Amino acid sequence: MFIAAGTVRALVLPAVGAIVASRGVLLARLDLLLLFVIVPALVYAFVRQKVYTYRFTESELVVRDGLLTRNVRHISYARIHNVALVRNPIHRLLGVATARIETAAGGKPEALLRVLSLEAADELRRTALGEEQTPSATGSAEMRPTDAPLLQVPDRELVRLGLISNRGFIVIAAVVGVVSQLNWWDQDWSRVYESLRARAPDWAGWLFESGSLTGRVLLGIVLILLAIALLRLFSITWYLVRYRNFTLRQKDEDLRAEYGLLTQVSSVIPVHRIQLVTVSVSFLHRCFGRASIDVETAGASDLSGQFAASGVLNTRQWLAPIVDSGRAAALVRKVLPEIDIEAVEWKPIEARAVRRIVNRVVIAVTPVTIGLAAVLTFSPIPLSGWHGLWLPSVVLPMTWLATRRWVRRAGYALTDRAIYFRSGWPGRQISAVRFVNMQTVAMHQSPFDHRRRMASVAVDTAGAGSVGHRILIPFLDVDVAESILHRLYVETRSTEFRW
Amino acid sequence: MDDRDQTSNSDPAPAPASIVDGQEHRVDPRSVKVARIIGVSVTLPLALIPLIFVTIGWALGGIPSPVYFALFAGLLLLLALLVLFAYRWPAVRHERLRYLVDEGGLRIRRGVFWRKVVWIPISRVQHTDFSQGPVQRSFGLATLTVHTAGTAGASISLGGLEHGIATRLCDHLRPDRATDAD
Repeated sequence: MFIAAGTVRALVLPAVGAIVASRGVLLARLDLLLLFVIVPALVYAFVRQKVYTYRFTESELVVRDGLLTRNVRHISYARIHNVALVRNPIHRLLGVATARIETAAGGKPEALLRVLSLEAADELRRTALGEEQTPSATGSAEMRPTDAPLLQVPDRELVRLGLISNRGFIVIAAVVGVVSQLNWWDQDWSRVYESLRARAPDWAGWLFESGSLTGRVLLGIVLILLAIALLRLFSITWYLVRYRNFTLRQKDEDLRAEYGLLTQVSSVIPVHRIQLVTVSVSFLHRCFGRASIDVETAGASDLSGQFAASGVLNTRQWLAPIVDSGRAAALVRKVLPEIDIEAVEWKPIEARAVRRIVNRVVIAVTPVTIGLAAVLTFSPIPLSGWHGLWLPSVVLPMTWLATRRWVRRAGYALTDRAIYFRSGWPGRQISAVRFVNMQTVAMHQSPFDHRRRMASVAVDTAGAGSVGHRILIPFLDVDVAESILHRLYVETRSTEFRW
Repeated sequence: MDDRDQTSNSDPAPAPASIVDGQEHRVDPRSVKVARIIGVSVTLPLALIPLIFVTIGWALGGIPSPVYFALFAGLLLLLALLVLFAYRWPAVRHERLRYLVDEGGLRIRRGVFWRKVVWIPISRVQHTDFSQGPVQRSFGLATLTVHTAGTAGASISLGGLEHGIATRLCDHLRPDRATDAD
C-alpha cells in the first residue's frame, strides 16, 4: 500500500506540473495519461509489493524480490551498520515506518522495508545493531584538540606549494569567465599595441621596434614569461587563501584538519576509516625537496556525496598538502603505525615491461609518421617525405629512456601488515593499503599480458574514488602475480574488515 | 516457491561441506544451454528487424530489386554470424569459467581474451544475492552475487550454478561464520 501511495505521489506531482505547464493542452488527454501511465504504475506498485517480502532469521535478514527473475538476498545482522527509519506524515498517521537497511557496500540501501510497525522497527534496530549503538556517543567530545599538531603548514610553505602546483589556472578561468561577460575582448588590439608602444619606457622601446622580427619574438617570450609568473602568483594566492594555517591535529582517535583564510574548514578524518594512503612527489616537489600526502577514506557519506555530483568520485583528502619529503614517512607512520614507506623492501616489476610499453608507442607513432611523410611529400613545403622520419627517431629513443626509468623505479612491497606500490617518473607516487582494508584481490591478464606470461594485480578497497594512485601493480610475471594474489588472499582471509 | 527457502532444511544428500574442497570446478554445463537460449532469443529478433525493414522498403518499391537481394543476402549472413556467435560464445565462456571454494573464501577465474582471477574472502562479504531468471529456473540453475564493501569488486556474480550448490555456497559465504571461527 505504501509503495502504491509513493507511486501515486511520485506520479501525480509531475503530471500536475505537466498539465499546468502545457496550459490545458494536455488536459484533454488526461484519460490517456491515466490509461498509459498511472494505471500501469499502480499495477506495478501493487505487484511489486506482493513480490517484495522479507523475513528475519536468528542471524540474518532475508529479502525476496522479483517476479520473473527472483532474487533472495541474505544480509547478516553482523554486517548491518545502519538502520535508518524514515517517517513521512502518512507513516506517522498510521504508526509505521520505512526502514532503510544499510551495510558497508556502497550505493543504494541494501534493503528497504516499506511498512514496518514501530515496535518491529525498534526490534530490528536492536537485533541488527546490537550493542554497537554505544560508539555513536563519541560526538560529544567535540572541539577538544588534545595533542600538539602533527603538522602545521607555514605561509612560506604555502608559497612553495603555489609554485609547485598549477592552481593558477583556477583563478585564470574565473577571470576569463568574468572578462568574457564584460565583452572586454571586443576592442581594437592594434590600438592597444600602439598605446603600449607609446608608453613603453626607453629601455623597453627596442621590443616594439616595428618590422624587427627579433623584437616581436622577444616580446612574445616576455609576454609568455609574464603569463607564467602571473599564473604562479595566482596559484600562490589561491593556496594562501584556501589553505592558510593548515593544521593537522590528533583528536582522540581521529585527525582534524583545519585551514582557510576566508572560508575556514575544519574536517575530521576518521583514522580507522582510512583505506589507502598515497605519498606523492611530483617533479617540482622533488626540486623543492617536498612531498604531499593524501588519504582515501570510506563511509564518510557527506564527503563522497559532495563529489559524486561532479561525476568524478573523489574520496581523497589531504593529510599534508606539502611536507618536507624527509618527514613524510614519519608523518604517515604517526597516523598509521602499520605503514612505513621507508622500511620496506621494494621488489621490481618485470624489466620486459619496457619493450611492451615501447611497442605501444611504436604502434601509436607509426601512422603519425606515415601521415607526416605523406603531408611533406604532397605539400608545397620544400622537404622530402623522408624528413617525416625525424619524428620517430626523436620520440622513440626518448620514450625508451623514459620507460626504462619508469619501469626501474616502479615496484611493490609486502610487509606483514600492508601492501605498497610505487610508480612514476620523473615524479613518484607511493600508495599503501593495510591488509585489514583490502576487500577483494584480483589478477588481470590482457591478451598481450597472456602472450608474454605477464599479469597485473589489483587490490580493491572501500570508497575508492575514480582518481588517484592506487594499488594496481602492472607487468608482473604471471607466477609472481599468482603468488602475490594468494598471499594477499590469505592475509585478507585471516583479518576482519572493520568500520 | 521452489527457490531457496531456509538456510538449513532444503539440501538433499551430499554433505554441506563437500563444496568446500579447494578444487577448481566448472559451473553447471546446462548453463551453456541457458545462455544460448537467452542469447539466441535476444539476437534473433534484433537481427531480424533490419531484414524486415529492408523487405518492407522493397515491397513498397523504395529499394530496387538487385540492391534488395544484395542487402538481404548481406543481412542474412550477418544474422547467421550473430546467431552463430550467440550459440558458440556461451560454450567458450563456460570453458574458461572456474570457481574454487575453500574455508576462507571463493575464487573465480574467468575471461576469454581478458582474463581475471578474483579472490573474495568470506571476511569481506557484506551480503549475498541468490537469483533465478525464468530460464534458469526451468533448468534448476541460479546466479550467486556476492557483495563486498569494495568499489571495483563491490558485487561479483557467479552464474550457472546448480541450485543446490548455489544454496550451499550462499550458506558458506555467510560472513558471521567466518567471524565465529576467529
